[in-house]
Amino acid sequence: MVLTLVLAPLLLITLAGALQLGALRVVAARVRAAADLAALVAVNDQDDVELARSGTLRLSADAVEVAREYFARELGLSSTLLGSAADEVAAAADIAAYPAAPAHDARTGARYDRPTVRIAARVPVKTPVFGALAFRPVTTIDVLSVSSPR
Amino acid sequence: MKRRAAASVFAVLLLCSSPALAWDPSREDGGDARPEVEREPDPAPFIAPPPGIYYVTDTYVADVVTSTGALTTYSTTTVHESTGSYARVLDTVGTGASSAFDGSAFNGRRTLGDGRSVAGTYYENYVLDAGGFVPVSIVFFQDDAEVARLLSGTPISGVNTPAPSIPATASATPRPFGTTCCATQRPVVPIPSPTLAPIRPRISLVPLGAPLATLEVLRGRAVSLYPRAFVGDREVPVRAWTVIAGDAGEALVTAGSGVVPFRTSWRHLAPPGAAFDVVFRIEVDTPETGHRTVAAAIGVVVRSPALER
Repeated sequence: MVLTLVLAPLLLITLAGALQLGALRVVAARVRAAADLAALVAVNDQDDVELARSGTLRLSADAVEVAREYFARELGLSSTLLGSAADEVAAAADIAAYPAAPAHDARTGARYDRPTVRIAARVPVKTPVFGALAFRPVTTIDVLSVSSPR
Repeated sequence: MKRRAAASVFAVLLLCSSPALAWDPSREDGGDARPEVEREPDPAPFIAPPPGIYYVTDTYVADVVTSTGALTTYSTTTVHESTGSYARVLDTVGTGASSAFDGSAFNGRRTLGDGRSVAGTYYENYVLDAGGFVPVSIVFFQDDAEVARLLSGTPISGVNTPAPSIPATASATPRPFGTTCCATQRPVVPIPSPTLAPIRPRISLVPLGAPLATLEVLRGRAVSLYPRAFVGDREVPVRAWTVIAGDAGEALVTAGSGVVPFRTSWRHLAPPGAAFDVVFRIEVDTPETGHRTVAAAIGVVVRSPALER
């Protein structure tokens, strides 16, 4: 009886922590998918004038705006899990477009051989169980997504 | 009692029986063979001709020499009828070549303007009598042509002879045309060679866009390709175009007039490092170019947005 009273809270805390950790991984996957989809959509938007002129693919001039818009839209589907508004997260994201290749990314140090869109964002995610357990109630997930036509 | 009844039934069945008449398809005995029908002798028995001899269905009529402009054609007219004769090929000779049968043909062998014998084929005719195939004659079927030599001095219809130009001299004294010193010489008539201006085919994404040799397109993205043609720096209208080779993608039509583009899209990617080479046949028909066709090719690289890791 005493052993049960002692171990039961410990088991419940462990179980709650495991569930929160699993939920966090699911949310992280959704946030990463949101960034990937936004980058793909931005790359899929090409500059038709440049294509007619040179026959080569080149990113549209508004590729950054397109990527940010779609990143916010995708995050909005998981708004209840986010620690802040999806629009704010997308607005704060570091989104860069490299219309012509080759290009060098100063943030990541990567070299891009094709027109590329890169999204780097810090997405706050609610972790209430962690907060109840004396951890932070909001956990920040870093996402990085890079897309180019291949 | 039972034995009597059984014997009675058997006797009744035996009396009522009759022979079965059935046809046996596999029966091969000659018991029912029909009597041999007496055949009448063939009034005209077929005699197979020897190898090389065939039955004549087109009969020689005459030698024909026709002239069209500078071209003189030597041919032979025939009539599609059979005289019951046979023939075989003796010799086929080319222009100027001699044959062992020269002089033996009843219609002779003509010569070209330069004295060479015309080309053609010698045939030997046969008739079939009681003794077999008997040769009766040799005929020469001429088949040749020549372009009249322009040194003959005779005017040739269809050829524009430019008037000789008078060279400008310092004294401005007009020279007499056709001096006596050259009257006996045959005038050399320069013939302008029919050189046609080269047509440069081009392909662009817009009607007045830059010509493209390669094109990058996104997978599934609809594009319009405009086959165009240039003579020098000037664009000439395209009468029609046709995709004659390469992967045309998801195009609904692969041919069209010059005013419509080639619309297509590609839903699959080429192998890494490769491209789809699309070849057009562009047809041009203008007074400047005449009716000509040229080929134009464009390499299409299909790409798809992908994630980098």
